[in-house]
Amino acid sequence: MPANTTRQHAKRSTYCDGISRRSCLQLGLTTALGASLTDLLSLRSRASESGASLRGPAKSCILVWLDGGPTHYETFDPKPEAPSEVRGEFFPIETKVPGVHFSEHMTRLAGIADKISIVRSIRHNQGNHGAGNHYMMTGAPPRIPVGCGAFVSFHPSLGSVTAHQRGHQNGLPAYFSIPSMSRSGGPNFLGAQYAPFVVPDDPNRDSFRVRDVALPKGLETDRFEHRRELRSTVDSLPRFENQATGDPVLAADEYFQQSYDLMTSKEAQEAFNIQSEADEVRERYGRNSFGQRALLARRLVTAGVPFITLYEGGWDHHRDLFNTCRKRLPEVDNTVATLIEDLEERGMLDETLVVVLGEFGRTPKINKDAGRDHWSNAMSVLMAGAKIPGGTIVGATDRQGYSAVDRVLSPENFASTVYRKLGIDPGQILYTPQGRPSHLVSDPAPIDELMA
Amino acid sequence: MRTIAIRCLWLLVSIFGMVSAASSIPAIEPKDAAGSPSPQLLDSGLHASEVTFEADIQPLLTRFGCNSGPCHGKSRGQNGFALSLLGFDSDFDYDSLVRQARGRRISPASPQLSLLIQKAMGSLPHGGGIRIEAGSKPHQLLSRWIAAGAPRTPADAPQLVRVSVEPPLASLAPEESFALQVTAEYSDGSLRDVTDASAFQSNDNTIAAVSPEGVLQAGPVTGETAVMARYMNHIALCSVTIPLPQEVAPEVYDQLPQAHPVDALVLDKLKLLNMLPSAAADDSTFHRRAYLRVIGRLPTVEETREFLADGAPNKRQTLIAQLLQQPEYGDFWANKWADLLRPNPYHVGIKATLNYDAWIREAFRENMPYDEFVKQLLTSRGSTFRDGETVMFRDRRKPDELTTIVSQLFLGIRLECAKCHHHPFEVYGQSDFYSFAAYFARIGRKGTGISAPISGSEEFIFTADKGDVQHPITNEVLEPRPIFGEAPEIAEGEDRREALAEWLASPENPYFAQTMANRVWTDLMGVGLVEPVDDLRATNPPTNPELLQALGDDFVQSDFNIKKLIRQIVLSKAYAMSTLPQPRNELDTRYYSRKYRQRLRAEVLLDSVVQVTGVPESFSAMAPNAKAKELWTHRIGSLFLDAYGRPDPNQDPPCERTGEPTVVQTLHLMNSENLAQKITSDKGQAAQWGKSEQSPEEIVNEMYLAIYARFPTESELKIALGIYENEGTDRRKVTEDLMWSLMNTPEFTFKD
Repeated sequence: MPANTTRQHAKRSTYCDGISRRSCLQLGLTTALGASLTDLLSLRSRASESGASLRGPAKSCILVWLDGGPTHYETFDPKPEAPSEVRGEFFPIETKVPGVHFSEHMTRLAGIADKISIVRSIRHNQGNHGAGNHYMMTGAPPRIPVGCGAFVSFHPSLGSVTAHQRGHQNGLPAYFSIPSMSRSGGPNFLGAQYAPFVVPDDPNRDSFRVRDVALPKGLETDRFEHRRELRSTVDSLPRFENQATGDPVLAADEYFQQSYDLMTSKEAQEAFNIQSEADEVRERYGRNSFGQRALLARRLVTAGVPFITLYEGGWDHHRDLFNTCRKRLPEVDNTVATLIEDLEERGMLDETLVVVLGEFGRTPKINKDAGRDHWSNAMSVLMAGAKIPGGTIVGATDRQGYSAVDRVLSPENFASTVYRKLGIDPGQILYTPQGRPSHLVSDPAPIDELMA
Repeated sequence: MRTIAIRCLWLLVSIFGMVSAASSIPAIEPKDAAGSPSPQLLDSGLHASEVTFEADIQPLLTRFGCNSGPCHGKSRGQNGFALSLLGFDSDFDYDSLVRQARGRRISPASPQLSLLIQKAMGSLPHGGGIRIEAGSKPHQLLSRWIAAGAPRTPADAPQLVRVSVEPPLASLAPEESFALQVTAEYSDGSLRDVTDASAFQSNDNTIAAVSPEGVLQAGPVTGETAVMARYMNHIALCSVTIPLPQEVAPEVYDQLPQAHPVDALVLDKLKLLNMLPSAAADDSTFHRRAYLRVIGRLPTVEETREFLADGAPNKRQTLIAQLLQQPEYGDFWANKWADLLRPNPYHVGIKATLNYDAWIREAFRENMPYDEFVKQLLTSRGSTFRDGETVMFRDRRKPDELTTIVSQLFLGIRLECAKCHHHPFEVYGQSDFYSFAAYFARIGRKGTGISAPISGSEEFIFTADKGDVQHPITNEVLEPRPIFGEAPEIAEGEDRREALAEWLASPENPYFAQTMANRVWTDLMGVGLVEPVDDLRATNPPTNPELLQALGDDFVQSDFNIKKLIRQIVLSKAYAMSTLPQPRNELDTRYYSRKYRQRLRAEVLLDSVVQVTGVPESFSAMAPNAKAKELWTHRIGSLFLDAYGRPDPNQDPPCERTGEPTVVQTLHLMNSENLAQKITSDKGQAAQWGKSEQSPEEIVNEMYLAIYARFPTESELKIALGIYENEGTDRRKVTEDLMWSLMNTPEFTFKD
């Protein structure tokens, strides 16, 4: 009940108590870190054997997912010439790039339009949340029809593939999903070790801590190490190594190792310590959950995490679209613009890919509830950083925003672009535990305009 | 790069034949000699005398996806052109094509200028792109139809009765491929080959893929899948099996235990797949498994000692009989049902939630027959403060909400789709949905309704004499009607729900018994005969239909006795198998040739932690020493239960329970302050062992019995004793360390 929850939060905040002890812990752990480094190296070498190692500018990707399907009309693709039942209540505004217009609440992004790119011509055929999420999050359409509320996985997600191909470093998981797992954001056949690490806690709270990543109070490092050794000695349950048996204990083993790496990583503890940011920086990102999560994502990038998904719910505006957008768009606009500027000021933008999207766009005709419904024939995707030429507008929808008509692109092209930016070959073949080959992306052509 | 990609693609096609590459698979002519085509079989339209709408054109709209959900089948259509979803409404579709848009979609004078043809072939901009190639057979059919003045199929023409696919069962070698043939049967008995106008889909492409032309291509892997052929709004299934290479000699199967009906049916399936079962699990594994899966707790040290020492040949039967009498039985199974039924206290109020929970628990404690349980729930009347079962109707207030939950929970039929349009994979349409909803139209509610977030008032549920459900499109007032079969007449003044409950919870209703049998089977075996457990439909067939039917029949025979159903399953050899795979079942994850490991359920694991450490968990709004299984709402705070995936009532829609292991769980068990304190508490079990007079050997034996429910092996004992003998050791600290170590291994957190 509410009172109790508060108490639990307060209690939780007492079990992380600073960094010094953990740095001690880390010093004793060269073997463990060494092991994970070796893994990393062997992963890399395997990757290059399979022809996977392309050079890409991006070390990391921050993917902002606006769950529900954000409207393209009220964000990056306004249609002032359309009749009023399509055009909606907002007006277009000019941007830093002559001739390019955004919708009226995207003011800060309009001011840096020369640093970002908008793809206006991705379209697909999956008009419900479960399927749309799957297509955009994995680059593969769902294999069989899935329901609207479905959480399905037929193919590894962008984040999981990146974790698989790039490996992790500094003991940090390679793939974060904040504050929750996305519907189709899982590893599928790649296996549990490439599932995202979820940080449900709200970094906008003063008491924010990533829970359970440090030793409990009163437990000394030596004793913990002793316990860990003892545990591996007494652990005698047989493991079924053939992946095809689907033994869930293999995943548990992987998670134990990941947990240990995370606990002993100084970089991880530092990245989680969002309280060490200057107030001024925290204000710029926005003193709300989304703003602070974006800041946390930037800190994780600094610590070397290759893929972070920020999963923001509440973008399924079947009703009352305009009022909701008036409230929520300025927040998103501010945070995303700040993130891009901050990355640039720190000299990190060229090696960080920032993507903002949802599962699809929204219907042209405003419905009887002043909302727009699902519409996969048109959507707008923001991409920035990773040497994407700023100010590029890729493709176009028709005069009324019904459909992508110019330079029509697919989710496969989108996924391939993300992979190529991260130095991952979208044309490679991955193998399932059953030995079945699977194309990473069935059409490995990236969006050329963004590859310059 | 490109060359490599192309070469890889070629490789893939030649070896594995994925569906995306299926066009390069040479089309195989439908075979005729071997049985299928009958002499009456007509050709599919092209050479038939007249091309008409229902018979020839509407199927094409389905085949090419024109009337699919994301395109013109969407309820508002696409760009002003709407079709009924998957062609369930011919009048609507004909009107839309021929009469609307000022007739521009069809121009008989110059068929090629018809919008229908220009859009479909991409010569005019088309949101859906190019669907039909110029000169193709579908193109010719469309042209001929339009040129002939777009005739409808005469009303007295034979009606489509059913569609079948040949063969309905296929056993293929890995990589084998052959063509399916789809036949439509009409009311005059005539048959027609409609393969060309059918759409195909495989439930699992890795097992067998199917090309748009209906060519089946087996993958490299052993398994089964259903391949669906859709013609118009009819669906036929081909069930494909790819057995393991090399047959197993029949004598090998003959020697395996099959006296128990479950075992005989499991074995029948394994024979088809050339699989062999794993060996039987040993006594201690069986014992721990039975406790965890039947009553949701670990056995105590004493219980384990006793069972292992017992030499009686029927000790497993005795154990099960005892377990079913334990008080935890009711709480454990009620806790599962609470996931399905339990409302949010912010919505219905705390007292109502508590009452509802108490009613569910009581039903399981006294082993209320399942039909009785459902009937009481569905026909409940009275006060939400006194009669817990009425809270279902406080929580779900509209006929349509009740329709979806009742059909899904008790029949495994998901009607949600049919609320807004005809169900795409089922026979149900909107009139079926709302006629069923009419059973819930006359529920009276008096008192204070929902006033979130407190909603603390009492409400009375009674039989109302007014209230109707209307069809959302025709506005016709619908009489209550079950979604299949016949329901009893509703007498004057009788609650409609009485008739519904009679029909639903009847022994004649196979869905009712089988859905519950599948739920219980899933809980005990780890994987459902049908997955998801509440999605029984022709296009999602059970992995062993005969077994599901037998379990359902048995359940009916026992007068819906849940404990008997559990006993029946638990005493089979299939339940008692080891998890350890062998070469002839390594790939099996759904046919019960071995037992499948599962992580302990959140509540069970937390109760186990408490039992092992001897330190109770303190919950708000619960009595001291309450077990996690006894919590009456998921809103009672617990970081542990949240980490281990209990349903999250704060999410909208509420998140379902998750059973997967995660890093967050591992970290919580390793590091959380709460668990650390339980191990080191002065009042805990470790402290007690530390200061006891027991020898290290006695402590280690007890600890293994408490945590793993088995004795340590000789070498395990030796290792453990070794750490007690180190110089300067503190007995209590060593005990704590060993306890932490055992509790952080999978042998503790998993059911083996």
